[in-house]
Amino acid sequence: MNLSRLLGILSAIVAALFCASLLIGPAGFGIGDSISALVRGDGEAVTLVMREIRLPRALLAVMVGVSLGLSGAALQGFLRNPLAEPGLIGVTSSAALGAVIALQTGFAASFALALPVSALIGALVSVLLLLLLAGPRGGSLTLILAGIAISALAGAFLSLVLNLSPNPFAVSEIVFWMLGSLSDRSFDHVLIALPVMALGWALLASLGRGLDALTLGQDAAASMGIHLGRLRLRMVVGVAASVGAATAVAGAIGFVGLVVPHILRPFVGARPGALLPASALGGAAMVLAADIAVRLILPDRDLKLGVLMAIIGAPLFLHLIYKTRRQMT
Amino acid sequence: MTALAVTDLTVLRGECPVVDQVSLSLRAGEITGLIGPNGAGKTTLLRAILGLQPHSGTSSLASLPARQRARTVAWMPQNREIAWPVAVETLVMLGRVPHLAGGAKPSAEDRAATARALADMALNGFETRAATDLSGGEQARVLIARVLAQETPIILADEPIAGLDPAFQIATMQIFRCLADQGKTILAALHDLGLAARHCTRLLLLDKGRLVADGPPRDVLTPENLHSVFGIAAHVMETEHGLIFQPLEITR
Repeated sequence: MNLSRLLGILSAIVAALFCASLLIGPAGFGIGDSISALVRGDGEAVTLVMREIRLPRALLAVMVGVSLGLSGAALQGFLRNPLAEPGLIGVTSSAALGAVIALQTGFAASFALALPVSALIGALVSVLLLLLLAGPRGGSLTLILAGIAISALAGAFLSLVLNLSPNPFAVSEIVFWMLGSLSDRSFDHVLIALPVMALGWALLASLGRGLDALTLGQDAAASMGIHLGRLRLRMVVGVAASVGAATAVAGAIGFVGLVVPHILRPFVGARPGALLPASALGGAAMVLAADIAVRLILPDRDLKLGVLMAIIGAPLFLHLIYKTRRQMT
Repeated sequence: MTALAVTDLTVLRGECPVVDQVSLSLRAGEITGLIGPNGAGKTTLLRAILGLQPHSGTSSLASLPARQRARTVAWMPQNREIAWPVAVETLVMLGRVPHLAGGAKPSAEDRAATARALADMALNGFETRAATDLSGGEQARVLIARVLAQETPIILADEPIAGLDPAFQIATMQIFRCLADQGKTILAALHDLGLAARHCTRLLLLDKGRLVADGPPRDVLTPENLHSVFGIAAHVMETEHGLIFQPLEITR
């Protein structure tokens, strides 16, 4: 399939899901009422729900999905490994650690955006540590090892915080936050995440040609004028900014960055550069769909987005592995 | 005309020199074989010449800015990596990356260069197949085609013909010959001394990182060099088909 046609279809799916996300919710307004309230701003309660609850929620779903899909595609392309996912370089767990420390110490309650800000600081620290550990050359092995070490360390500190927590309410708050969700988010979350994510998206979008050249391996890519050190720096900072911001506003949401590039790869002829925009849109569609599903399946029980994603994502991934295995024999 | 000049190139691994004070210059139109036993430093020398390896000494290629270097020299590494199941044509088109301005789509010239390279390696009919589905030898031809599509005045290749069937080994050497006749410069690390003797205009013999012989094949493949560097004896004969080289036995 031609790339622009694929991107057109994916954009249409994202647009349709975005509208659905705006129109579906427990308040149960009519479609006409909802849209007129959103656009014109009459009818007080409806306008409030549409503008302050559903619109930021739908926007965040798109932003988080784009971040995760794009990061997954960039990491898989850079590492030339279809099993890479954004969590691999330790950003997700470090952002979660930042958030959890804020929740535990009570700093999260000190001002409205204290939680996402703490998560972003966690992500930033992990990136600095990662770049320091991975060394100056553009290799991928040291990057993976450093990422695993940072993930493990952040995970250990997370457990430590839970372990030492004297207060069961704080523990349940932390655990619930870590499950990942987009409910009860406001425009402030959109505004704090968007600039950071946009920086990440811009960096990741510039990687296309370098990732294409890396198909032939690091040496061949370097000989074709691709500066591997700079490519890796742009990739790491891009993934950290977009995934760090996504984790900061939505908690840890797995599988999107792993599964979406995997599903879309055959449609772009496996070209890593072309996979970037396709995965960005595919990620947005997947998170929007899942966020609609959590509202439809158990409307009263606050089913967490991250939980649903793992429940859908893991079997989907197993199916993909099964398909790959059949192709290989 | 000198196409490539290297002076006192040294690569250290720890204290130990892997490439030791190598100086050489290649002229346009030469097809040079880099020969030597396993571990002699052939790959390291080629990578250092390209500037892909930290080194001391100078190389006219390593000192070029990355983008200009990519338009001057095409490099075929030894490990034949194809990470994703991309179409053969897409893979060969990657050779045009150094010629594309940022974000630009491939031009008619890029497409023509790709088509020529595919035809040179007899890959017509393979264009839309996934490169990873091909056999090892076919993949090698695709990767050689990528190097050809780069259309650079210099080509450096690390064992380009390993794993090819005899017909494609000869065909590849003949394509290199043809490119050299057009004024290009080819430097290839080769393990098959028979093909090296027959198709190269010049051989560089590397032993323990040092350049121990440099000249036309018959001056390099002497019984003394073969014994001291490779530890073999060989039958070397000048015939109407050119120099024939056949290894016979181990001498140490």
